[in-house]
Order: sequence, then structure tokens, then C-alpha cells
Amino acid sequence: MLKLNSLQKSIILILLVVWALVNIFPLGVMFISGFKTTREIFMDPFGLPKKWTFNSYVKAWHVANFAAYFKNSIIVSLVSIVLILFVSSMGAYVLARFDFPGRRLIYLYIIAGLVLPVRLAIIPIFLLIRSFRLNDTLFALFLVYTAGGISFSTFLLVNFFENIPVDLEDAARIDGAGVFRIYWQINLPLLRPALATVTIFNFIRVWNDFFFPLIFIDTDAKKTIPLGIQNFFGEFDIQWDLLFGALNIAIIPIIIFFLILSRQFIAGLTEGAIK
Amino acid sequence: MVAAKSIYKRYSFLWMLVPALAIYTMLIAYPFVSSLALSFFKWPGIGPKEYVGLANYKNVLTGYMSREFYRALGHNVIFFILSWLTGIIPGLIFALFLSAGIWGTNFFKTLFFIPNTLSIVIVGFLWSLLLNPQWGFINQALKIVGLGVLAKPWLGDTTLALPTIILVNAWRSMGFFILTFLAGIVGIDREMFEAARIDGANEWQIITKIIVPQLIPIIGTLTILKVIWSFNVFDIVFAMEGTQAGPAGSTDVLGTLFYRIAFGGLGSSDVGMGLGATVVTLIFLIVFPISIIYVYLVEKRTKAG
Repeated sequence: MLKLNSLQKSIILILLVVWALVNIFPLGVMFISGFKTTREIFMDPFGLPKKWTFNSYVKAWHVANFAAYFKNSIIVSLVSIVLILFVSSMGAYVLARFDFPGRRLIYLYIIAGLVLPVRLAIIPIFLLIRSFRLNDTLFALFLVYTAGGISFSTFLLVNFFENIPVDLEDAARIDGAGVFRIYWQINLPLLRPALATVTIFNFIRVWNDFFFPLIFIDTDAKKTIPLGIQNFFGEFDIQWDLLFGALNIAIIPIIIFFLILSRQFIAGLTEGAIK
Repeated sequence: MVAAKSIYKRYSFLWMLVPALAIYTMLIAYPFVSSLALSFFKWPGIGPKEYVGLANYKNVLTGYMSREFYRALGHNVIFFILSWLTGIIPGLIFALFLSAGIWGTNFFKTLFFIPNTLSIVIVGFLWSLLLNPQWGFINQALKIVGLGVLAKPWLGDTTLALPTIILVNAWRSMGFFILTFLAGIVGIDREMFEAARIDGANEWQIITKIIVPQLIPIIGTLTILKVIWSFNVFDIVFAMEGTQAGPAGSTDVLGTLFYRIAFGGLGSSDVGMGLGATVVTLIFLIVFPISIIYVYLVEKRTKAG
């Protein structure tokens, strides 16, 4: 794109490396400290551990309810994403492919949610969930995350439908297929790239969320990772090996997941905001 | 009867829209309206609600809550300004760097994006360890390179705490800004560059006269997003300074103030769902006009293809 001489290129490369170090440094410190004892962390913060030990991980895993936090985070993400995909793709199908009175108005009503920060409505949501007796259950989280994902997902899918030819549907309709079957068998497979974007966008949103578990979940065994780690920090203030172990357990899986699917992640998260 | 049946048949596909519409209405649309209504009542969360008219607004805007409210609001404004400066400008510069076709671009792209995939609270906890005054890596590193005078109690100082939190936030979100700008730069028609070069433009002029003007819509969208995010900030302050948003309230934002009023109780001059709903409605009134512009821009751009 830009035509630069080699001096300019070298300067740019140096600045990129510096920023890369600013990114890596905190994560590297965290990673390595997770293999140290508390004593080593304090005495020799920059050195490598004398003996690499997994003690802090084992301790963090057992002392805190990490196995439960992990399981809860996975369940909540999976259920919410499946619900979002199903509900939004059906809705998007109707909005994109059929004409009926009020179609445009309903579409605008749904995408208005793109800019309503859900947490601003938290008091009535909290009261509603409480009146269903769903507070302190994972169901509360399924519902809130599904509701919060509908606007963006429907918006993206409606737009994507415009790239899918209608002819395939007409052929199926002549064969007598019902509306749901046409959606399920013909459109859903063609929607796959958009469904992937929707999945990743919502996965990051749900997996990393702290606010709704904070409001809804009290029982330790029902906490997700971000909320679980919060108490952990309150309780083990001085056992720094445990703290770093816990942070590593929380962070490393998501980084590995990202490195495997980095292109889809970047597309999912940047399109989520700009598209 | 026949007509009703045929209408039913004609619109029978509509049931597929019902689940999305029902969940969205019940848990997003209705709560927003309900929250607005609640702001006219006094209500501790259980028992009967007492209608108080505009009393909550009066208390927040001019009454006994106003000092806390304006302090928090001011912090949100500072958050927006500083996070704009530390997010948009370096984001644009690094995106330009990455568009220069230098070795390792893909590697840098991936690496820069990593912090953005992490939970905000977890980033907050990690940095509060790194910034810890006794041990903190940051202070230790400053001492080693001979800048020991700069070693500060970053999160314990009333003037430094908020800017420190904003910088940590910038660390996490930079990748998002870089890659969004990069996508914009890559989308610019290359022929415009060639034409400019033929007319004798140098690379600096190409950046300032072609690239930056072409990126104005993206800068606009990102600025709007920054406003929305800045006025809703909560997690990072909570993680690094707790619900009290210390030291001495110097990092208190509307999000933490609201949390204390509606859910926390402790340390706030008043507690209640009605008062909480009032604070939320005021946040909404600030963010909403800006949000409308955002939806309009996104709609327009999607239609343009």
C-alpha cells in the first residue's frame, strides 16, 4: 500500500515490536508467575522459576470451585448460543423473506436493541427473574444472554439473507415443502458463515461477562469464571501463587481458542460493532 | 370464517418470528419502559411502591445525591475524553503501520488482538497485581531502569487512579481499534493512491489527504461507540477499585454509583430501586441521542453495501 524506504520500514517495525512487547509482557509475567512459589514471585519477580511447579494451578483448582466455574461457563455459553442461533435465524428468515404488514416496523424495533445497553434495564430484569423464581439459577443467565443477543444476530442474519438466492426455495416450495422445512433444510446450511460470526460474537460476550452473574448468582457452585475469580481475589489476598494460577486457568483456554480461530474471532468482533 | 382461515394460512409463517419477538420484548423492551416508570417511585425493592413524581430526579440533579452524581458523571466524561485520545489516535497510527506491507503483519495483527478477547474483570485483576505498590512489576521495572522516582501507588492515588484505569482499558481495547481501522484502510480503492502519486503526492500527503478523510466515517462510528461504552463503564472500575470506587471515590462512575444505590447499599447516601432507576434513566438520556445516530449510520452503510 504505502511506499516506504527501508529506514521508515525499520522504524515502523521497531514501534510494532515495542507495542507487541507491551501486549506480551503482562501476559508473560502472569504465565511465568503461575509456575512460581509466592516467595519466588516476591523475591525474584523477573526471573524464571528455579523449579517449574504446577502447584499453584492444582491449589487454585482445588481450593476454589474452579471445576464448577468452568462447567458453568461452558453450559451458559453453549445453551445461550444455541438459543440465540435458533431464535434469531428463524426471526431473520421471516423478516428477510416474507412480506407482511408491519414488517419494517418490527425489524426496526428489534434492531433498536443494538444500542440499548441491556444493563441499563437491569432493575426490571432483576425483578422479572425474581418473580419467576429464577434468581440464583443458570436459567436466569440463559434468558438474559439470549435476549441480549437477539438484536445483533437478527440484524446480521437479515443482511446475510440478501446474499442467498431465493430460487432454491421456490423449487422446494413447488415440491410442497413447508415454511419451516425450507428454513431448516435449505436456508440454515447456506447461512453457515453468518452463523459462525454470530456464534463467536456471542461466545465472547457471554463467556467474558461479569455483570449479570454478579447480579443474579449467589451460590458459589453456580458461578461462572469471571464472577468466581472475583471472590477468589478477595479471599486469597496474600497467596500470590494462587492468584496467578487462577488467572492463568481463566485466561489460557480463551487465548488458545483465539489463536486457533483468530481470523473468525477478529471478523466476529469487529463486524459486531462496525458492520 | 373462510376468510379468517385463509388469512391465518397466508400469515402462518409468522409463528417463526414469535420466539425472538417474545424474548426480546419481555427481557429488553419492556424492562426499559418499566425502568423509566420506576424512576417516579420510591421503593426499597419489596413492599408497596410510593409514587413521588419527580422527587428522585430532584434529589439526584439538585438535592442531596447531586454531589455524588456530578462527580461520577464528570469521571465518565474524563473516561470518554482520555480513552478516545488513548484509543482512536494510537489505533489509527498502528493501523497505518500495519498497512505498510511490513514483514510479520499477520503475526502482529493476531498478537495485538489477544487482550481484546479477555474478560474485562480478569484484565482488571491482572493489572491490579502488576500495579501493586509493594511488589508490582511496573514499579519494579521502573526502578531497574533507573526511573524509580516514577514508581507510584498507581491505584491508591486520587489523581492517578482514574487515568491508570483508563490506560489499562486502552491496553485491552487497542487491538479492536487497530483492526477496525486496518479493515477500513484495506478497503480504500488503491487506484486513488496511484493517481495521487502520478500527481506528485508523497506518502505523507497520501495519508493525510486520502487515507484519513476516507476513514472519517469509521472514526465517527468508533467515537459513538466510545461514548456508549464510556457512559456504561463498570466492570473495570469494579475489578480494580471495588464498589466504593476508591480511593475516596476518585474513580466513581455512574455505573458503580448506580450499582451501590440499587444493589450494593453500603456506602451510598441512599438506597432504592426507584432512585437507581432514576440514575439509569439519566445515563440513558445521555447515551440515547448518540445511539440513534449510530443506528442511522449503520443502517445507511449496510444499505450502501
